[in-house]
Amino acid sequence: MDSFSVLVVDDERDFLQALVARLSLRKLNAAGVDNGLAALEHLDKAPVDVVVLDLKMPGMDGLQVLDEIKRRDPKVEVVILTGHGSVESGMEGVSRGAFAYLIKPVKIDELLEKIVKAYEWKQTNQTLPREEDI
Amino acid sequence: MHKVYRRLAKRMTATALVVALAPLYAVGAGIYFYFSGIQEEQIKHELSTLAHNRMSAISLFLDERTSVLEVLAQTSSKEALTQPGALEKVFGLLNRRAWSFLDLGVIDAQGRHLAYVGPYPLEDRNYSEAPWFRETMLRGTFVSDVFLGFRGKPHFVVAVKHSAGANSWILRATIDSEVFTRLVQSAQLGQRGDSYIVNCEGNYQTPPRFGGKILDPSGIDLKHVPRRINVVERTTAEGKHLLTAFAWLPKKDWLMVIDQDPREALGPMNLARELELAVLGFSSLLIAASIIFLVRHMVRRLEEQDRERMAFDAQLAHSGRLVSLGRMAAGVAHEINNPLAAIGELAGLLDDLIDEDFRKSHPHGTLFKENLAKIQQHVERVRSVTHRLLGFARRMEPHLEALEVNQVLTEAFSFLEREAKLKGVEVKLELAQDLPSLQTDRAQLQQVFLNLLNNALDAVEEGGHLRLESWRDDGEVVVSVADNGPGIPEDMQDSVFDPFFTTKGPGEGTGLGLSISYSIMQKLGGSITFESVPHQGATFYVHIPIS
Repeated sequence: MDSFSVLVVDDERDFLQALVARLSLRKLNAAGVDNGLAALEHLDKAPVDVVVLDLKMPGMDGLQVLDEIKRRDPKVEVVILTGHGSVESGMEGVSRGAFAYLIKPVKIDELLEKIVKAYEWKQTNQTLPREEDI
Repeated sequence: MHKVYRRLAKRMTATALVVALAPLYAVGAGIYFYFSGIQEEQIKHELSTLAHNRMSAISLFLDERTSVLEVLAQTSSKEALTQPGALEKVFGLLNRRAWSFLDLGVIDAQGRHLAYVGPYPLEDRNYSEAPWFRETMLRGTFVSDVFLGFRGKPHFVVAVKHSAGANSWILRATIDSEVFTRLVQSAQLGQRGDSYIVNCEGNYQTPPRFGGKILDPSGIDLKHVPRRINVVERTTAEGKHLLTAFAWLPKKDWLMVIDQDPREALGPMNLARELELAVLGFSSLLIAASIIFLVRHMVRRLEEQDRERMAFDAQLAHSGRLVSLGRMAAGVAHEINNPLAAIGELAGLLDDLIDEDFRKSHPHGTLFKENLAKIQQHVERVRSVTHRLLGFARRMEPHLEALEVNQVLTEAFSFLEREAKLKGVEVKLELAQDLPSLQTDRAQLQQVFLNLLNNALDAVEEGGHLRLESWRDDGEVVVSVADNGPGIPEDMQDSVFDPFFTTKGPGEGTGLGLSISYSIMQKLGGSITFESVPHQGATFYVHIPIS
């Protein structure tokens, strides 16, 4: 599989650093930021395929960041990963364009699987017309 | 029935009985007293009329007899009447017209019986000492009281004087007691009525029907009997209650007495009263029975409703506590999840970094590796606890809203749509468009659909088929999720909804999805069923009640 770029957005620094390191070890081009604004700045500077996004963060919350990402580049796929999980917020995220929704803590393999699927979806999606466009 | 409700039932019954029966009895009593008053007046009036008529008839009877004798005495001579056979002839003539003279006699001024026709041997008697003789000589005409006389039998006489100084004489006749008594007794009413005559001393002049003989004292206190015709209620010395009419004869100190038994007189009225009482009694029983039945029924319903309400309140309070507990559980789970995730990732990172070379070269390399794996296992343990807590919190807080089932289903499906497409799974939706809105919990229903869709998607191979359908059935909406996966082996079908049951590989499923879905649907008043043919697939049906 090609290496692709992943941005992890989470205000929990220890978690963030460890996760970024682990993803990097798994041959992904991973980076991490601890707030929504920084995430948007990062997206402006470097191309990102998949964003792993926390929902509850100080400043911009995850759903706002999601909206902004999708507004700027709908092709970027987002996997929501939060400790404050519920079906409603998951539905909400998916309805706003997130690819998947996971509740912390999650096994690295499970997360990796979703990230890979999101990337594959992104690749497929680029060749297929989006549902909204039909 | 609890004693509070028994008391309530008693009070309600008593009030309803009073309210229902009091007017009934008041009207009944009013009607009874009004009509019995009228009836009593009517009876007294009739009795008074009867007394007047009888008194007049008796008076006329005596007047007639007196007049006949007077005419005879004035138009005949003593000598003519004392001729042999003459008196018999006159007696025969008299009795041919009126069968009421028992005998006839001519008595001179000295009291000697000059001539006599009759059944008794009285020809030679001297009446100079008899009270009637003296009265007749004094007054000229006299009707005696009843007395025994020489014949020793009760009788009364009518005597008239032919005035001729020292040659005056008296024509005397005895009235046939039977005829006179019959005349008096013709006023007797009914089976227990009586009629008789008493003299001014209160002694019977005709035999009464009950309790006495002729000449016996009647016990009537004449001092209080007025001269006019008078109807009174009285009680005899024997304790007999009577309705009595008194009428004095105008020319003789005799009192006509007509007794009537009030019970007999008021017979029709009493019958009416008994009938009325029977109707009242029957109505009362009917009303009382209806009231008792209705009140018991109502109070029982009330008790049931109260009990249901109390149970509902208790359930509400219980739910309230569970909701608080659920929120607390969710809060705790959320707070734990973040640091737990950090622990997991940090340990994972260290685990990632300890490669085979490090493990072998470092004296504690193996220990590091093992312990990091244990830390990750324990993180996994805590994770399953916090996820269960979150699930519990969700189930504790049902939030009902009107929703379209198809919408909830497509939302849930959109959650997995991309995964399905990536897997190359074909999904067909056949949703009925005429479904009613349902009052149920959106999040919980989403959870159920998600669980079923997840399972279905996991069950099918790449290129498999899913089929989602919805339709309306009797009182419910049914959603089915069908897959063409391997199905559920027959020996496992009974355990499908058991907690921790799973057909997925180790680490792939918790075995809680269907168990949680099952309990959610029970809580929402619906159910989950399934059909499965091994190697052909499985279909799960979610039944959601419409009301």
